[in-house]
Amino acid sequence: MSRLSNATVRKMVVFAVLAVLLVLAALFAEHLCPYDPYAQNLREALQAPSEAHLLGTDRYGRDMLSRVIMGGQSSIASTLVCVAVVALIGTAVGVVAGWRAGVLDTLLMRTSDVFLAFPGLVFALAVAGVLGGGIQNAVIALCAIGWPKFARIARSQTLAVCDASFIQAARMQGTKGLALIVRHVLPNIAGPIVVCAVLDIGTMMMELAGLSYLGLGAQPPMAEWGSMMSDGRSMLQTAPWCVLAPGLAIFITVLVFNLLGDTLRDYLDPKKKGSAS
Amino acid sequence: MTHTGKGLSRRGFVGLGAGVGVAALIGQSVFGAQAPCGALADGATFAYGTTGYGPEMDDAGLNPHANYSGWSCVRYGVGETLFKFSDSMEPESWLAESYEFTDDTTVVIKLREGVRFSSGRAMDAQAVKECLDDLLAVHDRAPLDLEIDAIEADGMTLAITTKRPKPALINYLCDPYGAIIDMQAGVSADNNVAGTGPFVATSVSDTEIALVANADYWGGTPSLANVSVRSITDGDTLTMALQAGQIDASYGLPYASYALFENPSFNIESCETSRAFFAQANYASPVMSDPAVRHALALGIDKEGFVEVLLNGRGAPAAGAFPSNFAFGNDTVSAPAYDPEEAKRVLEEAGWVDSDGDGVREKDGQRLHIVWLTYPGRQELPLLAESVQFSLGEIGFEVEVNCTANHTSIRTDTSAWDVYASALVTAPTGDPEYFFSATCVTDAPKNFGGYSNPDLDALAEQLSEEFDTGKRAELATQMQQVILDDDAYMFASHLTMGIVSRAGVSGIAPHPCDYYEVTAGLAVA
Repeated sequence: MSRLSNATVRKMVVFAVLAVLLVLAALFAEHLCPYDPYAQNLREALQAPSEAHLLGTDRYGRDMLSRVIMGGQSSIASTLVCVAVVALIGTAVGVVAGWRAGVLDTLLMRTSDVFLAFPGLVFALAVAGVLGGGIQNAVIALCAIGWPKFARIARSQTLAVCDASFIQAARMQGTKGLALIVRHVLPNIAGPIVVCAVLDIGTMMMELAGLSYLGLGAQPPMAEWGSMMSDGRSMLQTAPWCVLAPGLAIFITVLVFNLLGDTLRDYLDPKKKGSAS
Repeated sequence: MTHTGKGLSRRGFVGLGAGVGVAALIGQSVFGAQAPCGALADGATFAYGTTGYGPEMDDAGLNPHANYSGWSCVRYGVGETLFKFSDSMEPESWLAESYEFTDDTTVVIKLREGVRFSSGRAMDAQAVKECLDDLLAVHDRAPLDLEIDAIEADGMTLAITTKRPKPALINYLCDPYGAIIDMQAGVSADNNVAGTGPFVATSVSDTEIALVANADYWGGTPSLANVSVRSITDGDTLTMALQAGQIDASYGLPYASYALFENPSFNIESCETSRAFFAQANYASPVMSDPAVRHALALGIDKEGFVEVLLNGRGAPAAGAFPSNFAFGNDTVSAPAYDPEEAKRVLEEAGWVDSDGDGVREKDGQRLHIVWLTYPGRQELPLLAESVQFSLGEIGFEVEVNCTANHTSIRTDTSAWDVYASALVTAPTGDPEYFFSATCVTDAPKNFGGYSNPDLDALAEQLSEEFDTGKRAELATQMQQVILDDDAYMFASHLTMGIVSRAGVSGIAPHPCDYYEVTAGLAVA
């Protein structure tokens, strides 16, 4: 391994550790919160950051730090669920389309073209609007617009490998259908899909926060970064911490996942590997 | 029907995520909190930004005979009514000089001399009769309020006969739908009218009204030549427009913004109004039909905290339906104060106990779960809902908030909600009768919870026939006490309306009835 790829690996490990820390913080949010994120105390409303409340309090006197930590749970968990679902559905559709050329391919790909023709967030707004508020509905809306990208990548990758010699060799050994796809196709197309999925986490998180900000995602009093920002919007000039705390949380989380995705792409990119060795 | 759609800003949707945050921070450093002071340049226009005007408020245009547009006609100084409210909500003369009830159903009104419409026509009894006849023919609320049988015009004297004794007729004539306009000049395609006020509209749209001074105004020439009324529906936009000096005065700032204007560069004028934020119980709901549950709910609303903290002190905790400046106001009735311990005791005694330890009480297998229906159109209501959700939760309720713009269709389905929280101007005419007949008596149009108490209905009957103002006030107090003792209605607070203007502006202030804003006295030093 060369120096460059060593540096890439080091970077990747750092970002992976940060990402894992974020996920762990989300998983154990209940134990990390210094206060109950839902306990109101009107007598302590809108306090500036202090020792007692590191990120201040909101207009109901709830501790912002606890709410940001708790908000991570809903924001990160829903985003990961969302990305996992679109990656699975998209890949399944793409592999089927790539594997079975013909009418089915055309049908699936034209359908995904139709979905890609809509501006993403606008379509999600429409879906979430029809389904009504609630974080589950926001996730469903984002899943509805997210899968075609993965379908296209999976299809092109499948087309590239389906005539490869190792596939033909596997065929000759008698491996057929689903077993062939699972054992030989999927492992060979996974790289780009994983990179795309990790890079998608940041985008999804922003879109989910956007929907919540517009009142179509998480509903009060639920701690969720987007809805917390929307809640604090009118206090931006008088109590900026109400907006800055969840805003920074979104910023940092999205940055970490995007950098992780970038280094993961560098690491998995066969061209870079070749030139570096 | 009264007005539930006037006034403060709704939570507008203006942008996405962090972008807004950054933009507004930049805005703060660029605009600062200092507005330019000093007089208007010659020919410059006084700009008045308001969240209270536009199609969403049902008051676009100036035609008093349509929807709530009369509010705009009177608010912005184009039209005037026969009588107007004093600061203590007593009717006093305006276009009328005096009135006299000659019998229970007839009132004779003497009109002010020397008043001209902006069309040039002199105002006389005939012109007023034409206007009122049209009002009764085309308006939705006026015929039901006024119950006028016939109007006779004779020179400057108007005789109005009502279908039955109408003690509050003069009060109802103060309603902005009673603005007197010249029907011969009619209503233009853009809903402009010829009124008698200090200003004349030169153009009217759904977002802006351009006004010029009425040189012939009977009350003296206004000191400002040009005024522009601009609809700014988003509270944060309104805040920043005032900070940047793009508008000279504002109506309907968000509560959180007032702190930015508490300095010598701005004037804040405030006034308590009769707009009440209140909840009504659904008697068709199995949970709410238990008197103990209703009483515990009334004990579990932290009114002081709501007003002092969530409304930044810009309101008054309510006991009854009417604010303290009324003879039958808050101080005359007694309502449960916030007392969570007492609420727990009441529930305990009635058999509501938390037997499975999940924090929610049960009785006979039924959970103490209530749906709190409200709407986001008034910024106070979602705040109240979220605060109550927590304070009732501490007592052992499980409160599900349904805050939706669709509340008008949901509230008619009594299986879909347990408590309905809304905002209502309880005394738009300064008289108590309207609130009870519209909201509380059996089968009243706004009695969505199916509340019915024969004692209240009997008192309402008495009130409708009582001419003596003092006795009317006494009856109103008794009636409020009946609904409070039943815990059928719970009043959280009354709105304190605010108009914020830049330093140097004078003669613009909110009024208890929320009707009069732009007047001849508006001036810039």
